[in-house]
Amino acid sequence: MDYGYSAQYSTTSYGAQGGAGGGGFLNQGSQESPAGGKQNQYGKDTLRPVTIKQILDAQQPHPDAELKIDGTEASHVTFVGQIRNVSTQATNITYKFDDGTGTVEVKQWIDADAGNAMEMDDSKPKLVENTYARVWGRMKAFNTRRHVGSHAIRPIANMNEVQCHLLEATVAHLHITRGPPESARPQGATINGDVAQRNAGYAGTGGLGSLSPHARRIMQCLQTVEQSNEGLHMHDIAQRLQMDMADVGKGGDELLAQGMIYTTVDDNTWAPLIL
Amino acid sequence: MSVTEATPRITAQYLENYTHQTVRILGKVTQLRGEQAVVDCGGPITVILNREAHFIQNHFFEVVGKVQQDLGVRVFASTDFGTDIDFKAYEAVVNATHQCKEIFYGDSA
Repeated sequence: MDYGYSAQYSTTSYGAQGGAGGGGFLNQGSQESPAGGKQNQYGKDTLRPVTIKQILDAQQPHPDAELKIDGTEASHVTFVGQIRNVSTQATNITYKFDDGTGTVEVKQWIDADAGNAMEMDDSKPKLVENTYARVWGRMKAFNTRRHVGSHAIRPIANMNEVQCHLLEATVAHLHITRGPPESARPQGATINGDVAQRNAGYAGTGGLGSLSPHARRIMQCLQTVEQSNEGLHMHDIAQRLQMDMADVGKGGDELLAQGMIYTTVDDNTWAPLIL
Repeated sequence: MSVTEATPRITAQYLENYTHQTVRILGKVTQLRGEQAVVDCGGPITVILNREAHFIQNHFFEVVGKVQQDLGVRVFASTDFGTDIDFKAYEAVVNATHQCKEIFYGDSA
């Protein structure tokens, strides 16, 4: 047991982040857990559905940096593909996965202690060539080559998962590159035919469609008028929009309740929440 | 052989855009005629089977194969997807992959 050592190690680098718990996880975690240096990344960990092409195209800003997909750090990924080749080595099993968009090697390290038990367990569906499987793992870069260090690989039981995964990967990609879908913005701009509003670029949840006209105008004003990070006072807004103070107050309350704006220097000075 | 690495998923209506290319189709087997079979993939597609292909009537099969001049598909590899397949989902995938080429098949495809 090197628990003592690990725990000590994490406390130094984790600080207030609850090193003991994290240390425990790290200690038992897979071989992927870096021995040091990257612990501060864990808070940002994501698990993203991707295609193999996205893994091959992932950008690495500089050596040792996290790989980026669509400009977003994507440490852990999951994908569905067909096993094209299995090669068992002393320390790992390397699978070649193909999902139609490309091929990538997936390495799964063999746990020497658990290894024999796994081989004997015939009840588990085998990961043989031409079976479809889902992979969870971490992208690795070795020079220009990419591979995936995997924690878990599970054969696909229902083939619809193949299609489902590809659609999921598309949604994730579009969400990150273009923001949430129009349909997720309630009663979107199309109903009002207000294209300007759609282009206002508010990419948060909720959207402008569900707001009262006053609140919508205030929000637009806050988004378009140049301002310091203190935002605008409600008098200023009322003047700019030629609106009644009472209406500005009501609209502001609505936006505050929605979490779309927040108060700054006092209760009547608002800034838009930009996500 | 990097050309064959990506195998675009298509349905019957895209066949003529992909002649002499390796593609992936998912369709239900409607006819078995010895060396050939017909699968329904948003329209009938004639596939020329290889030795390893063991098609089963009414099962969905995923086929990786090359589109011939006559729009038949010569099978390189096939996988039995069973009978419980939501074909609408596959059509959605085909649409998504053609609209979002950057994450699927590159711009050149």
